[in-house]
Amino acid sequence: MFSLLKSTRGLQRGMLVAGMVLVAVFLILAVFAPWLAPYGFNETRVDGVPFGTQQPPSAEHWWGTTVGGQDVLSRVIYGARTAVVVIVLAVLFSLVIGVPLGLLSGFLAGPVDRMLVLVMDALYAFPSLLLAIVVAIVVGGGSSGVVGGVLAAAIALTVVFIPQYFRVVRNATLAVKVEPYVDAARVVGTRTPRILFRHILANVRQSVPVIATLNASEAILTLAALGFLGFGIEPSSAAEWGYDLNKAMSDATNGIWWTGVFPGMAIVLMVMGVTLVGESLNDVLNPLLKARGADTTTSDEEEISAEYAEAVASEGLDEDVAEEAAAVDADVRRVATLSLTDLAVTFQTSGSSVRAVKGVSFDVAPGEVVAVVGESGSGKSVTSRAVMGLLPDTANVSGSALLRTGGDESRELIGMPERRLRFVRGDEVSMIFQEPGTALDPVYTVGWQIVEMLRTHRDISKKDARRRAVELLELVGLPDPERRVDFYPHQLSGGQKQRVMIAMAIALEPDVIVADEPTTALDVTVQAAIIELLLDLRDRLGTAIVLITHNMGVVADVADRAVVMYRGEIVEQAPVERLFRAPRHPYTRRLLEAVPHLGQGAGAPAVADDAPPVLTLQGVTVEFAGRLGQPSFRAVDDVDLLIRRGEVLGLVGESGSGKSTLGRVAVGLQKTTEGTVLIGDQDITTLSDRRLRSHRGRFGFVFQDPAASLNPHMTISECVAEPLKVQSDLSAADQRAKVATLLDRVQLPSAYAGRYPHELSGGQRQRVSLARALALDPDLLIADEPTSALDVSVQAKVLELFAELQRELQFACLFITHDLAVVDALANRVAVMRHGRIVEEGTRDEVLRAPQAEYTRQLIAAVPVPDPAEQRRRREARGALLADAE
Amino acid sequence: MATTELLTGSEQPEAPSAPRRSGGMSPLTRYLLVRVALVIPMMWILVTFVFFLMRVIGDPISAAQGGRLTPEQIAERKAAAGLDAPLLQQYWDYLTGILRGDFGTAMTDGRPISDVLVVNGAATLELAFWALLVAFSLGIPLGRLAARHRDAWPDAVLRIFSILVYAAPVFFVGLLLKLAFVPLGLPVAGRASTSVELALQDVEPQTHIMIIDAILWGDPAYVWDVLKHAILPAIALGLLTGGVFLRLVRVNLIQTLRTDYVTATRARGIAERRVVRKHAYRNALVPVVTVMGLQVALLLGGAVLTETTFEWQGLGYTLADYLVKRDFIAVQGIVTVIALVVAVSSLLIDVIVAFVDPRVRF
Repeated sequence: MFSLLKSTRGLQRGMLVAGMVLVAVFLILAVFAPWLAPYGFNETRVDGVPFGTQQPPSAEHWWGTTVGGQDVLSRVIYGARTAVVVIVLAVLFSLVIGVPLGLLSGFLAGPVDRMLVLVMDALYAFPSLLLAIVVAIVVGGGSSGVVGGVLAAAIALTVVFIPQYFRVVRNATLAVKVEPYVDAARVVGTRTPRILFRHILANVRQSVPVIATLNASEAILTLAALGFLGFGIEPSSAAEWGYDLNKAMSDATNGIWWTGVFPGMAIVLMVMGVTLVGESLNDVLNPLLKARGADTTTSDEEEISAEYAEAVASEGLDEDVAEEAAAVDADVRRVATLSLTDLAVTFQTSGSSVRAVKGVSFDVAPGEVVAVVGESGSGKSVTSRAVMGLLPDTANVSGSALLRTGGDESRELIGMPERRLRFVRGDEVSMIFQEPGTALDPVYTVGWQIVEMLRTHRDISKKDARRRAVELLELVGLPDPERRVDFYPHQLSGGQKQRVMIAMAIALEPDVIVADEPTTALDVTVQAAIIELLLDLRDRLGTAIVLITHNMGVVADVADRAVVMYRGEIVEQAPVERLFRAPRHPYTRRLLEAVPHLGQGAGAPAVADDAPPVLTLQGVTVEFAGRLGQPSFRAVDDVDLLIRRGEVLGLVGESGSGKSTLGRVAVGLQKTTEGTVLIGDQDITTLSDRRLRSHRGRFGFVFQDPAASLNPHMTISECVAEPLKVQSDLSAADQRAKVATLLDRVQLPSAYAGRYPHELSGGQRQRVSLARALALDPDLLIADEPTSALDVSVQAKVLELFAELQRELQFACLFITHDLAVVDALANRVAVMRHGRIVEEGTRDEVLRAPQAEYTRQLIAAVPVPDPAEQRRRREARGALLADAE
Repeated sequence: MATTELLTGSEQPEAPSAPRRSGGMSPLTRYLLVRVALVIPMMWILVTFVFFLMRVIGDPISAAQGGRLTPEQIAERKAAAGLDAPLLQQYWDYLTGILRGDFGTAMTDGRPISDVLVVNGAATLELAFWALLVAFSLGIPLGRLAARHRDAWPDAVLRIFSILVYAAPVFFVGLLLKLAFVPLGLPVAGRASTSVELALQDVEPQTHIMIIDAILWGDPAYVWDVLKHAILPAIALGLLTGGVFLRLVRVNLIQTLRTDYVTATRARGIAERRVVRKHAYRNALVPVVTVMGLQVALLLGGAVLTETTFEWQGLGYTLADYLVKRDFIAVQGIVTVIALVVAVSSLLIDVIVAFVDPRVRF
């Protein structure tokens, strides 16, 4: 309770406190009713003297008497008791029935689930009050008396609320069920009851208090409504506010207010109290309503800053780094279109302030591409949004951003009033966002959105604007623009959407384009095409481009100059050639060293042919049933694959290629439609789940998303110990010892054993995942994009650890990734996957140095390498190879 | 009961995946066909549920007439009503009756339920219309206001207002309204003054929607009399529903204003007013419409209470009356109709959503 109170503030805290006080008052009234109430709830006389009916408030009867001659105050106090008892019972009943039902339904899925959902939805859609009335009549038929009446009312309410718990818990279960940590538990053979309680219920649980409090307030209202309509608790057995209101209704027309107003106010206040508590709970717990936090945790930033400190400490700071930056500046500044000087951004959050950007200065000249690079928390995106005036009100921006367009006249963008700034946006400075999928309004066609923008800034007719929109779409290389101009965003692919975003960004031939990670969400071949397009436009229009990215390959590919940011500050800025050739700042140096470089990988040589096979896939096909009437979708199509002991097979492919599905097949998480999967020489496709369980110890799995692959309600040592608990007979002490060894293996301090996953950084969590996967000394490790969510310097450390462990333990590994450079650094052999098929397979050198398949060649050509000179050669060499990539 | 959904923040409807080809049928047609196909089992479940629930109560004749008639007379009546037939036979008759539009006949006063529907159903429709008018004109602008000023004082005031409106039962609001307005001479019971009501019995064609009947009659005094009677019930029920709308609009607008496409629209230099009106409202509308559909159930439940409070002779009032009289044939008929209305309105909402959200349409 107090932790809840602490997590609120301002208005929210006020509301929570008010709610808690109200609830407490009614609880006290309920518990101590016989002592607090001056009379009994049905008493009409004291010492044989009647109270009199409808007496106005007086010294004997503070709140007057009812039409039946009872004391209003006493009835209101006893009414609290009735309400509390009924509501507690009703909430308990519906919890006990609704939660397990929802849990099982969501977990088992299939026909039982569909049946239950249909029934519960029908009940849910039905007017709850009517349902409660009918049930009250059914249950309350013969029984009266205190227990019977109260129980009947509680049951009537229960029936109404079960569907709500069912829905909430089922949906939460469905969501949790597909979390990687549940898969992780399944991979090691955890039994269903343990998965249900330890993994699913523990994480579903948090939605229950919200729904329970909100239901409680609804229950009070329904109880009162039942009483009001005459279907509630027998009036002789308990005092009930709704019933009293019914009796008071005719009084109201005669101006007798006290019989109705007091019980009515009691209902209002109690419901308000419970609702206020419930809403605050919801605000605190519901991620939908939470203010959007930073994308990374503070521990992620700490991890990077540790790297930074190490880099600086070991190499010392070059004094002339800053001087050089200033020198570069002076040259560019004279002609710059956009000049930032000492730009600083501070976010005001509850009581404290966070300095996200601390004095950033750089310039962009016409026709120049300036890359702003940095890891999580470097403040690179915040900088760009500050220039555009797109930060929330909690941000305090200082410093200067001068925009110089034509001639010597320049304008200050920071602090420019909104009404003038908005004419700059889109017209003179435009922006491209990271996620093309969410940056377009889903309910309007792309043409409509382009026209809207054109007509905002230019005085042109709708017809002309539309013609221009088609032209623009053609210019950015969207096929069949005449038709696609009328498409809604969801009808376009990711790359096509990004082209539309670019069309809008260039629509008014702006002087500056700010591109915030424009290719991060895209596949590598699409990325290459989009970058090509941006450069082409720059050449044609002479636009200055600020390119924000974390990808050093992209920087080497397109940028003229690079600005390296760390923690809101610029550590180094230099022409790209110089930066890559001779980075001055130790942080830059580390950063560049950490980037895997395709073509310079040191993956181990192929293992001997006579090493025993660990994983053999033969003709594996996986089909997913389509939705009603849709053809089924073939995710994996007739795949053969073999991994030997001590071998790392890199499985590469773009999104939707089926590579992850194949990984799940290999550990029996996904059933095959056809084909066999052999672990050693045991065919696991024919094994039942029960028989498969004993083989589970032979594989480990490391998942992509470090945030989701560990159960947030288990400590690190519990997470790592789970495979041991499930598969081995080790004593608790031996398990602890083994966990300590494993954590040591992955270079985590033993103090971390008692921590929870959210207290760790992404890189640390992936280490924990690795420890868990290795707990049973598996023959086979499946790693599905284990480092793609990590910052580059962290990724390097994790990959290094991985390679070291693999050499030492000699497990076979299926390493799934989209990053060819990572494969180059790790794998013995490489398989390339596309549309569910393996298009090429061979040793690392064969596939990466002398690719045979057209697609592999495209893929390799599309990867930008972090070396400007080499990348320029590659770009020229690849020529038209990528033309049909998208 | 849909309020809980609002409070917990409604889920965005699932965005359907990329368009796929399907044999010659447009995606919209497909979608609608699937919806219709889903509503039919829902109706069947509801109707079946009602039937068996009613049978659990006991046989309707004994419940209504028990004690007043001899066992022989009860048996005779049961036979006449077909209630001595096997349960499944009764169930079959009931289902086929519904398909023919025959919902049975009330035992206590012999009214056919279809007649109840036409007369009292019209009254409920009228009340619902007025209440929705109040709810929309209150909930939507205030919800926008609260969302635009999130966590500032207008938001705080409006949140407390919406909780207050939610926490006050319709009949208590009714009571307060009566206390306040009886002295001012506003009518607090019935749909029209007795004389007006009697006069309007002769309108041709009679719609049973009092305001239309009064307009057809052509006497402004009658129209005013009918309007006056509608004011307090409409406010009582409209406040309840309006409070729900307010929350709904607020939550969804806040979420929409935070999306990337709203930021992107701003980055294109579109004026803030237009960003909010054209982009944020339109997108917030999708979940708002979906959850409003669920409000039909809340509205009908609320109507039972409002009608009882204001003696408004609608479906809810009649239902409560038959419930008190333990006339379960009548109850079964009315509840069945309400169930069908709920099912059909959920279908209608799906159709509206399809027109608001292109992701459903294509």
